[in-house]
Parts: sequence; structure tokens; C-alpha cells
Amino acid sequence: MRRGAAWLVLLLTGCNSYQNALGGDGAEGANFVQLFTVFMVVCTVMYLIVAAALVFALWRRRRTALVLDDRTHHQTSRVVRPALAAWTALIGTGLVVLTIASFFTDRTNAAQGSKPQIKITVTANQWWWDVQYRLPDVSRNVRTANEIHLPVGIPVKVTLKSNDVIHSFWIPNLAGKQDLIPGRQTDAQLLPRKVGLYRGQCAEFCGVQHAQMALDVMVESKEDFLRWYAGQLKPATAPANSLQLAGYRYFTTRECSTCHNIGGTPASGQVAPDLTHFASRRSIAAGTLPMARGNVYGWVADPQSQKPGNRMPTVGLSANDLHALVAYLETLK
Amino acid sequence: MSLRFRSSIAALALVLVLVGCDREQRQTRGKPLAETIPASASPDTVFPGDANLPKADPRAAAYEGNAAAISEGQRLYNWMNCSGCHFHGGGGMGVALMDDKWRYGGRIDQIVATIVEGRPNGMPSFRGRLTGQQVWQLAAYVRTLSGQERKDAVSARADEVSNTPPQTQTKREPLNPADSAEQ
Amino acid sequence: MRRSFLAIVVVLAALVVVAVLFWCYRESGSPKAGTQQFAGLSVDKVIPARSASPPDDGNWTMPGKDYASTRFSALNQVTPGNVRKLQVAFTFSTGTTEGFEAPPLVVNNTMYVVAPWPNNVFALDLTKPGAPVKWVYEPKPAAAAKGVACCGPVNRGAFYSNGRLFMNLLDGNTVAVDAESGNEIWRTKLADINRGETMTMAPLVAEGKVLVGNSGGEMGVRGWLTALDAGSGKTAWRAYSTGPDKDALIGSQYRAPYASDQGKELGVKSWGPEQWKIGGGTVWGWISYDPELKLIYYGTGNPGPWNAEQRPGDNKWTAGLFARDVSTGQARWFHQGAPHDLFDHDDINETVLVDYPGPNGQRIPALLRPSRNGYLYVQDRRNGRILSADPYGYINAYKGVDLKTGRIIPATEKEPKTGRVVRNICPGPPGMKDWNPSAFSPATGLLYIPRINICMDMGAKNANYIPGTPFVGADVKMYAGPGGNRGVFTAWDPVARRKVFEIKEDLPLWSPALATAGGLVFYGTMDGWFKAIDARSGKLLWQFKTGSGIIGQPISYRGPDARQYIAVPSGIGGWAGAIVSADVDPRDPTAALGFSNATKDLKKRTTKGGTVYVFALPQ
Repeated sequence: MRRGAAWLVLLLTGCNSYQNALGGDGAEGANFVQLFTVFMVVCTVMYLIVAAALVFALWRRRRTALVLDDRTHHQTSRVVRPALAAWTALIGTGLVVLTIASFFTDRTNAAQGSKPQIKITVTANQWWWDVQYRLPDVSRNVRTANEIHLPVGIPVKVTLKSNDVIHSFWIPNLAGKQDLIPGRQTDAQLLPRKVGLYRGQCAEFCGVQHAQMALDVMVESKEDFLRWYAGQLKPATAPANSLQLAGYRYFTTRECSTCHNIGGTPASGQVAPDLTHFASRRSIAAGTLPMARGNVYGWVADPQSQKPGNRMPTVGLSANDLHALVAYLETLK
Repeated sequence: MSLRFRSSIAALALVLVLVGCDREQRQTRGKPLAETIPASASPDTVFPGDANLPKADPRAAAYEGNAAAISEGQRLYNWMNCSGCHFHGGGGMGVALMDDKWRYGGRIDQIVATIVEGRPNGMPSFRGRLTGQQVWQLAAYVRTLSGQERKDAVSARADEVSNTPPQTQTKREPLNPADSAEQ
Repeated sequence: MRRSFLAIVVVLAALVVVAVLFWCYRESGSPKAGTQQFAGLSVDKVIPARSASPPDDGNWTMPGKDYASTRFSALNQVTPGNVRKLQVAFTFSTGTTEGFEAPPLVVNNTMYVVAPWPNNVFALDLTKPGAPVKWVYEPKPAAAAKGVACCGPVNRGAFYSNGRLFMNLLDGNTVAVDAESGNEIWRTKLADINRGETMTMAPLVAEGKVLVGNSGGEMGVRGWLTALDAGSGKTAWRAYSTGPDKDALIGSQYRAPYASDQGKELGVKSWGPEQWKIGGGTVWGWISYDPELKLIYYGTGNPGPWNAEQRPGDNKWTAGLFARDVSTGQARWFHQGAPHDLFDHDDINETVLVDYPGPNGQRIPALLRPSRNGYLYVQDRRNGRILSADPYGYINAYKGVDLKTGRIIPATEKEPKTGRVVRNICPGPPGMKDWNPSAFSPATGLLYIPRINICMDMGAKNANYIPGTPFVGADVKMYAGPGGNRGVFTAWDPVARRKVFEIKEDLPLWSPALATAGGLVFYGTMDGWFKAIDARSGKLLWQFKTGSGIIGQPISYRGPDARQYIAVPSGIGGWAGAIVSADVDPRDPTAALGFSNATKDLKKRTTKGGTVYVFALPQ
């Protein structure tokens, strides 16, 4: 018994809770899990019937003679024809059931997404996600990167765009995959049901660092979400001491500001992740490294060693510049 | 060992050897330290008595005709707003890059110097704004606009709507002998 | 027998009377015909605003001729009858060959020629034969400024006031020069080329203030209009085109004519966070002034970047027309011609100040605004209310102007999208008419508009902001609109609200117009033909081929010998002429922001130049 349980645990280690396609933590995801179960049941039943028929045929074959005479043939067909008819009918019914189940799942998903209360635009780049929350009052839009916060129980519409190649937006716990295609706009609906942290992933091969293009999704209570949003609306923290000021100066006058944007400073580059609230994020470089001081040092000093081929060049910073920059970046909560 | 077995082993060995050959070196990081601009790549100048003529920069070989570098340069050309002044080689606010008229030299190291230093008639200086590797990648791309590079290294399509014939069909514009890489 | 003879005489007499009457009134085309007197005795015609348009003294002291921007000369020695005898009196070469847009100014028998970069000014003595040079002013602006001037290192002119010339230098300085000696009196640095700012517009001087604006809407520059004190050159006030109300000088005086332009902090609220700081709205075009209302009227340029998806919101206060108090700069009203502009439709075009006949016979102080977006607005200049807004050419980018809300209605299928190409958008980015101003003749009541017929394909892409470099985000290709002609000269009747005649030109028309009381209108083509047409019929009466394409303002003045002279600068350049002046390669159709494709043949039709031609009738 204990050995059986151990084997079960071993099998289940493949299912972590924060990147689990069978998690069903969002309405769309839950609908798909339901559909998946229906498919599993129907297909398992079919499989068992086919397996049983195969076993039966093998067993019977051993007991009859090798020669088929007319009498045996006639006897067999009396059984086989109705059996085949019943089997065809069963398959047909099964397919119809599956089609209807699939149709109703899509309809439910569409209905749930028809009245979104939050609109987000996600633009995929190689190999990071640009996330923009869009409000009717555009001056209160929030722009961040590689991280999405959502309030639980509120429907969200995500507009998906791409700046270069085809990517795919996939948060397994919450919903299915949806491609982001350059030159087109696609949509995904999300209705998270359970508070928690989930990991999303790019699901369409998009280049050398496709494997390190993850997305942190935080589903939180409404109050926590509003608090987070209000924090994101503030311009970047001003440097408080001379080391941070040196880092600020380097950032806004040198290579960093050529690509990155920090709201409230002269750095307004548009082609790299927005860093206004960099230190408030959970991970660096789309899930490549967890947010921690050592990782920030390592990333800023040599991003090519962590994520070779990505678009951020290794600048070759001096030690002083590196200390100053990291000190400044850590203040950007 | 039979003949068939031995020849299979030989064929397998040959395949394994060939698979190890790369057409070109691709450096994601560039040199560990930032690359400096070439010291001797000043624009066409009078060198009194033919003394101190600039020598070809050894880094040119690493970037010239390197498909990965040209591809990165194509991306950077848009990101760094080169296309905002020079468009797709035709020019406007900036000079045309697809023709054979080079005010400040058309060799790759001269183009690198132009990007890093800026030029008196309005070319901005990107020193401190781009890494050395990025500048060399850009220069490698700029050279393709006038058809200087091998056709199997250039990109066959633009990143946005095609406006000029594909670079694989661009005619090679002549360069002043002083600008050619053979000097 | 006698009765029939009498009848014949009576009939003949009647016929003669009818013929005479017909002859006298044959030129009164419209049912609201007025007299030909300039004094504007008739109340059903449009006349220039009187306070802004004083009687002509034969000089030309400001680019627009007067504060109302009529570009009309009351000299009438040259007429349709004798213009075919017009000949060159003298020429003057500036020695530079960039785009030559500025009109020569003539005051006190001296002609002041304002050249493009390096912005030299030449004073020519008109009393001596051949107009020799009295002095040369060489300001030596920085050459690097040429690298951030989107559409050629041009200069649109100087302004003469109180013995001084006021002008802008390309590298962001405004200068005051003594008109007698050519000495610089003051130089004030206002714009920074390292942020992509330059200055190309012609100042307007009024009530002791020198009004100047910056250029750089394609470079992520934040636009402004600054008033300098004419005596000292110190800044009196500055009105930004984006940002908080206290920067844009929107205060208690401000009353917008339409609801969508009224509100608090719209210069911040109608942009994504922080985007107004690099939002554009530069003031590089024309300013008009009403001395009675003490209001200046000027437009703001396009928002940046061109890719509208990157800047959600209405993007105030870009691409619209401001009315401000000249002494304090406080805004009186604003109307946005293109909210959330999609097509680079700046609103910097000239506004001609007129008195407009109202529906009950009253005279409304109004302005005529041939806007870049293709609509010719007639607005009450006291409060900005639109009296009419009519397309003056072919438009498919907009569905119309809603007169209740004042808003233009874009056609959604023509909206540019990142990563896609939208084709056949008319009018293209230079609009129905770009900066080159029209002229208004009170004699005919018509507005003479030299314009273009150009459409575009636009592919939007993600624009990156690096200060001092372009912030555009679009690949554009332009070409001729319906009809195949790239230029049009339109004579527009603002009361009847329709065109009276139109002349199709092969090349785009990039030169301003001049109207004279003699009954002529002058304009130039991009391949160098300087033309005189009849102001009523549009018939070409005279033309002369100058050495280079004409994009500069023609003027007319009375010389020391009391003859009427007509002068025009000749020197191709500007945005439309970039293919020649910047030696653009025509194999790239997107070069020069898309104009390369539309002017592929220009290199064969003209070359660079920089000469002023002065014409007069033979003595």
C-alpha cells in the first residue's frame, strides 16, 4: 500500500499547481477541463470496448479451426453484422456527443467573455510580453511587462498583438492558448476564479529563447488588485542617495534609455520592457530569473549569459556603474 | 567486420564531421568588454606622403557578410530610428545609403566611426548609446543597402511591408577604391 | 410705315440698353454680386478684417502682407491686359541652394532677402540699378541642426517692425537685426537641437511681442509658442501645446466652442501617462493677428509618433487652432481639427481674417481656414464657432465634420494599424494643402489656394523614442490622387462655399500665392514656372521659367520709381522637393517620408537653386 502511494506521488509530481492545464482556476480553463473529462470518459469507454473486442477475438481465434468453412462463416456473420451496426451507431453517437459538448463549451466561454470589465492589451515581442491596461480615461493606463495582475471573479478581455513573429498566449490554469499574430489582432477572455499565482508561457515557437518567455499571472482580491494598480500609476521613485543618483544618470543618458522606458524620467525608449516599477515584479526577463538582488546584478551585467541571443546586449559595465545601476533599479518598486 | 558494416561506420563518421561545420560564427555576446571604435577609420583624408595609411580593421571580417550580424543590424536599423532619417536607403533628412556616394566613407569601419562619432552636418553621435557590437551589426546592415554583401548573407525580406526590391536582388553599387575592404 | 419704323427703333434701343447693362454686369457671376471696389461697400461679400488689413503702402513688411494674412497687394499697375509684357527687372543669387521659402521683404526702398540655412540676410538697395547689396547678416547657425530638420533646412521668413528684422535661425535661436546696418541686436536661444528641436517659422510681431514657435513634430519634440519682448529678446510668456493647463496657459479666459475641447487638464488627460512630454504639437506655421480683439490665431502641429496606436486619447492640444491673448498668451478658444490625429494632419496652415456676411446681413468677424485635413473651415474668430466646413478637394480619410460637436469623423477603414499597410488614404500626410499659404483678394472675394492632390499607403510600426532622432513609426508611400495630377490651384468662394475654378498641375504646388488688385494671381510650380493667371477666370496669362523650382512666397511692392514690381524666390526644396535638394534616391519609394515616390521625376525637371527674380513692366 505504501509503495503504491509512493508510485502515485511520483506520477503526480508532473502536476504542479501553478502551471497546470487541468487546474481549472479560471472559468474558461474550468470549462475546458470539463470538456476534457467528457472526452476522456467517452474515449475511455470506446477504448475499453475496442480492447475487449480485441481480447475476445484473440481468445476465440485460438479455439476455432484454422479453416473457415461455409458454415462457420455464415454463423459468424449472424453475430458480426449486428455487432458492427451497433458499433457504428455507438461511434456516431459518441462523435455527436463530443461535438455538442465542444460547441457548448465554446458558447459558454464566449458568453462569459462578452462583458469584460477590464481590458488589457498584450503585445508579444521576442522574447517578452508588453502588458498595457486600457481604461476609458487613457491617462490612467498602466504599462508593465511580463506580469499580469487580475482581480478574482471579474471578466477580462485580453487583446493580443505581436511586434515580430507569431507567439501564443497560454496561461494553462486559466484558459486555453491563443496566438498573437503580427499585423493582426486576436482576443482571449479570462475569468479567474481562484486567488493565486499562475505561470503563463509562450506556446508557439518564436525563436531561440522561446523557452524562456514566461508570464507571471497574479490573481488577487479586488482590494489587492486596486492597491497594486494605484502603485503602478505612480511615476518612478526618485533616486534618494548619491549611488542611486549615479545609477539614474547612467540609465537616462546611456545605453539603457535607448530602449527602456521609466515613467517620470527622460528615459522613454519604447522597444524594451517598461521598467517604471521593475522591482515590484516577481521575475526578471519573462520568468528567466526570480527577482533578487544577485539576479539583478547578473542580468544587468551580462544578459547574454542568462538568455543568450535575447535582444538586450551585454554592455560591459564597469563595477561602479553596475553597483549604481542596480541600486537605482532596486528602488523602482 | 563486413564491408557493409565498415562503410556504414565511415558514412556515419563523415556525417558527424560535417554536422560540426558552421557556415559562420555567431556571437551573442560580442567581446567581454565593449568594443572600441577603430582608431584609424577617419573619413577619406589626405595622408601626407602616404604615411600612416589606415589598415583594414580585423573586426571587419567577423561582421562583414555575417548573416546573423546583418539580421541584427536590420532590426537595430529600425529600433534606433536610422530608418527615420535614411528610410530604406533612399534618404531624406539623412543622406541616401543605397547609392555610391559616401561623404564619410563606405568601408565598414568608416561607417562604424560615423555612427559612433556623429558627423558635422547632422548625423547624431551614438557613442554611449549603443554597444560596440550593436554598432558593428548596424554597419554590416548599412553595407547591404548598397548591395555590398554576399547575397546569401543578406535578408531576403524586410521586417515591414516591402518597399524596395529584396536585398538578394540589389545590384552592387561601386565603391571608391579607398573605401573598399581590400585596401 | 412710320409706326413700324418707330417700333424698330424702339426695339433696337432696347437691345442696346440690354447689351450695355449686360456688358457692365457680365463679371457678376454669383447672384450675390458685389462691386469691384476694395472699400467693401457691399455687405454680402467677404472682405478682410479691417483692423488687421490696413491700406497698402507699397511695402511688404511681413510674410503675410498684413496681420490678416491676405497676401494681397493693392497695387494695380500690372493687369491682365499688360501682364504679357512683364519682364525681369533684376535677379539676386543668395549663393545657397536649400529650399527657398521666405518672401523678400521690402521697406524704405530696401529689399531684405532671407535665405535658408545658413540663414543669411541680404539687404539690397532698390534705389540703385541692379539693386546692389547694402549689407549681409551672417548668423552662422550650427550645421548639425540640418540633421534634425525633417523637411529641409528652410526658413519661412523674417518680420519687419520698428526698424528691426526679426527671424528664427535653424538651430533654435531667434534674432533681432537692425534693418539699417545689419547688426545683430539680440539673440535668444529657445530650442535645443539635441532634443530634435529646430526653428523654421516666420515670427509675428505685435504689441511689442515677437511670437515664435518650434519645429520637430517628427522628432518627439514638445511644441510651444513663445512671446519674446521685441526690445530685449527676453521671454515674456510661453504656451506649450501639450501638458498641464498652467503650461498651456489655459485659464479662466478659456471658452472652447465645443464640449470635447473644454475641460480641466485636457493636455494631460487626453494622453497615456507621460506621453504628452514627447507629444508634438509644434508651432511651425502661420500666425494671424486681430488688433481689435487683441487675439492671435495659430495652429499646432501633429502629435508624435505618427503611429496613433502608441498614443491613445485625443492628444490635446495638437493638430488644432488656438486663439490667444497677445499680451499674456492666455488661451481664449481652441478647436481641434484632428483629434487623435491618424495621418500627420497638422493644423498649422494660415488663417485669413475676414468679415463674413451672416445670415441676417450682419458682419461676423470670421476666419478662413484651409486646413490640412481637407476641410475649409469658416469660423467666428471671437469664439471659434464653425460657420461651415467644406471639403475643398477629394477626401476619403474622413466622412465629414459634425457641426454640432465640431469633431471630424475619420473613416475607420482608413485607420492605420501596426504591422499592416492601409492603402489609398486621401489626403496623404501633406494634406489637402501643406504650409504654403493661400491668398485672398477682396476684389474678387475669392481665396486662392495652391494645393496638392496626393494620397498615400501607410504601414504603421512601433516607434522608438531616442531624443534627437525621429519618432515616427510609419512607412509611407505617396502618389497622385484621383485624376493623376499631383497639384491643383483652386479658387474658392467662401460665401457660396464652392470652388469657382481649378487649374490642374502635374507637379504638386508647394509655392504660396499672391493676389493683386490689378486682377492677377501669381504662383510658382516645382519645376520653376512662375505663372500669372486672371483672378476671375483662372486663365493663364503669363509665365516665366526660373532657374529652379519655386516654393517661395511671391510679393509685390512699389519701387522707388513708382513702378509695381513682383518678386519671387526660386530654389527647390522643402518636403516635396527633397528628392532634389537632399539628393534622395528615387529607388526607395518611402524615402523623404514617402514623398520620394510622388516626385520620382522631379530630378529631371529641376535642379537646386537660390535666386530671387524681380519682374516689372517695361518702362
